Amino acid sequence: MSTTLLEEVPPPRLTPVEGVKQGLQRRQARPGGRSYAVLRWTGAMIFAAIVLAFVISLLASSSQAFAHSGVSFFWSGTYSATKDIYPTGIFIVGTLITTAVAIILAVPIGVGTAAFLSEFAPKWLASPLSVLIDLIAAVPSIVVGLWGLLVLSPVFAHQVEPFFKKIPVLEWFFHGPAYGPSMLLAGTVLAVMILPTIVALSRTALTSVANEDREAARALGATRWQVVRTAVVPGARTGIEASVILAMGRALGETIAVAMVIGNNYALPHSLLSPGATLGSAIINNFGEANPGLDKSSVIGLVVVLLVITALVNIGGQLLLRRRLRAEGAVA
Amino acid sequence: MQRGADPRRARAPQAPRPRRRALAAKSSTVALSLAAVAILAAACGSSSPVASKKKPHTTSSSTTSTTSAGTAGASTTTSAPTTAAAAAPTAHTVTAPPPSSTACSTSGGPLSATCDTQSPSFKLAGAGANSIQPFFTRVFYYYSQADKGVSVNYSPAGSSVGVTDIEQNTVNFGDSEIPIKTPATGTGGNILQVPVDLGGVALSYNLPGVSGGLKLDGPTLAGIYLGKITSWNDPAIAALNPGVNLPSTTIVPVRRADSSGPGYDLDQYLIDTGGSAWTSSAAGTTPSTKWPITNVGVGEQLNTGVAGFIQQTPGAIGYVEYAYSLQASFTNAALENASGSFVKPSQSSIAAAGAQATNLSASNFSIVNGTGAGTYPLANFSWTLIYQKQSNTTLGVVLGKLLDWVTTTGQAQASALGYSPLPANVTALAHQTLLSLQNSAGKPLFS
Repeated sequence: MSTTLLEEVPPPRLTPVEGVKQGLQRRQARPGGRSYAVLRWTGAMIFAAIVLAFVISLLASSSQAFAHSGVSFFWSGTYSATKDIYPTGIFIVGTLITTAVAIILAVPIGVGTAAFLSEFAPKWLASPLSVLIDLIAAVPSIVVGLWGLLVLSPVFAHQVEPFFKKIPVLEWFFHGPAYGPSMLLAGTVLAVMILPTIVALSRTALTSVANEDREAARALGATRWQVVRTAVVPGARTGIEASVILAMGRALGETIAVAMVIGNNYALPHSLLSPGATLGSAIINNFGEANPGLDKSSVIGLVVVLLVITALVNIGGQLLLRRRLRAEGAVA
Repeated sequence: MQRGADPRRARAPQAPRPRRRALAAKSSTVALSLAAVAILAAACGSSSPVASKKKPHTTSSSTTSTTSAGTAGASTTTSAPTTAAAAAPTAHTVTAPPPSSTACSTSGGPLSATCDTQSPSFKLAGAGANSIQPFFTRVFYYYSQADKGVSVNYSPAGSSVGVTDIEQNTVNFGDSEIPIKTPATGTGGNILQVPVDLGGVALSYNLPGVSGGLKLDGPTLAGIYLGKITSWNDPAIAALNPGVNLPSTTIVPVRRADSSGPGYDLDQYLIDTGGSAWTSSAAGTTPSTKWPITNVGVGEQLNTGVAGFIQQTPGAIGYVEYAYSLQASFTNAALENASGSFVKPSQSSIAAAGAQATNLSASNFSIVNGTGAGTYPLANFSWTLIYQKQSNTTLGVVLGKLLDWVTTTGQAQASALGYSPLPANVTALAHQTLLSLQNSAGKPLFS
């Protein structure tokens, strides 16, 4: 066993056909390989089955709502003459706005922090700092939501929101009364929640940039900041973008923390200061109390809409990354 | 500056590529595994009702064995019921009768007899109305002092959750501010509805410079919650409050984002008194626990969320259970009742509303907008929901005695918190309802 292993290192360059042949030979040589392959395949199949079962059960339990409203469920969602209205379009707008606010706030801070941790911070500071940031990821959503409601909300109502209203150009985004609970507050709370994802993944991407790149930049006389800006960050760009896509996924789907700070107003927001609602907050506010039948089916319909949006964002992100990788591969 | 551009070109061409690819692969697996976790969680959630529906079957089969053991007087079993503290009345909670208490373990004893269940201890699980939580917390504490064998875990997730949980038989008792439509049934059969407390709904406001007792009537409140009356010095409010110096502060109406009993009461009040402006809006003419006008003002979760928002926001007005308003020392509006008098919420004005319920039942429960000079118009009884057939006789007896204590002796704890003690006829109704509790064989639990 050990001798064959030793012989395999370094791996010889093989054509694909040769590789498969050798793999088969190896499998025959090691009986454990076959049972592991079975295990591997079973794992993958179970996983696919779970995803499939999940999607099917969601579609089945929301079919009543879609049958009732048709495709218009995706924007109006209304199914009853008087009550029980799910203005899906409003929730989608709210979801996109809060996620955008979160990304705008979290990406510069997150990538900046990651760059600081990987390039500038002394070791005695970098490791405790990254532990602290990982701790944010460990804080439960409801705690973040409570903090947003009890601590951030008064600060936003009395200081932050009036401050933005005074800035001439931004005034268009920040008009209307400042209550505290708002799109802006929800986006800020989300930014806090997605920060650890961005920092951790971007940091991994930054540290994995080859030292030769840094040395080359140095050798050409770049300052420390120029090294980061021109060699390290471009080298880690794909990884940073991947971190943003993951973070976006979390921001899109967050429920309880958003429900606590967004104000739950089912109307189209007229500014970032107006209270609103997201798909997640609407689901959590209505699911527990939904009556069986069309009512519950419509709430599950909102889950389907959320799933579609999250899937679109993820697939779009993956395509973007793949195209970039391919383009870079062509260049190199 | 020129130098800055050079390093980019100087980058080693092949070196970063495989690494980046590896990283992208890594991040996509992270994405996949995150999705997997979410999917698993959701899959569990969706499958749980099925599981809870299956529970009663297993319970009934195991209960028969317990009752037979109980009649045989098997008191030597030492299996600790504390470990079986699970919320659901599943097979796990079925325990041998306590050694020293025949009155508690066999059917046919009197309902109000003292019951020594010091060991083993019984854990009951309940869920429901958020509004009753202060009362339940206090009254269950005192009950556990009187009878150390019983402890209750109450989850104040909201009335509708209480209804769903009891209907699916996942708790020992549910609680709802609004009784369910009769005849009430769930997976465990017929559901009994027992009135356990009398509370009021305060319209609290945060208006610096204006003291409590601001007068409001139905049409004005409807205007506020429809977004038509938007400032505190609106002529409609000023006309009701001559001599009060009203500021021009913007009104921020706050409501419950989840379904609620207080919301139902206020909806009922506005349907009765708010005029056509309210009934021709999305609110309609049938009161609903889900607040009907969701595109005006701010929605917060539970009484605590609404109370917290009122506290933080000058200009805010919102409806909260009176107990919460009292706890936060809010200023409350005086509301016009059916006799035309403006009454502030207080223990006595809520009690006066409760006294109107001369013919109370689960299908005739509304005491909103009563008559009388001192009657507060927004009041309601809270209803505890239990199965008539208790699959576990021992737990059924414990539960019956607990609720009987809550509706009699326990009422002394009500006034300190802002609730009013139940009127005598309502206590009698509760007692009568509890007497109809049965074991799984259909025999009455109490005599």
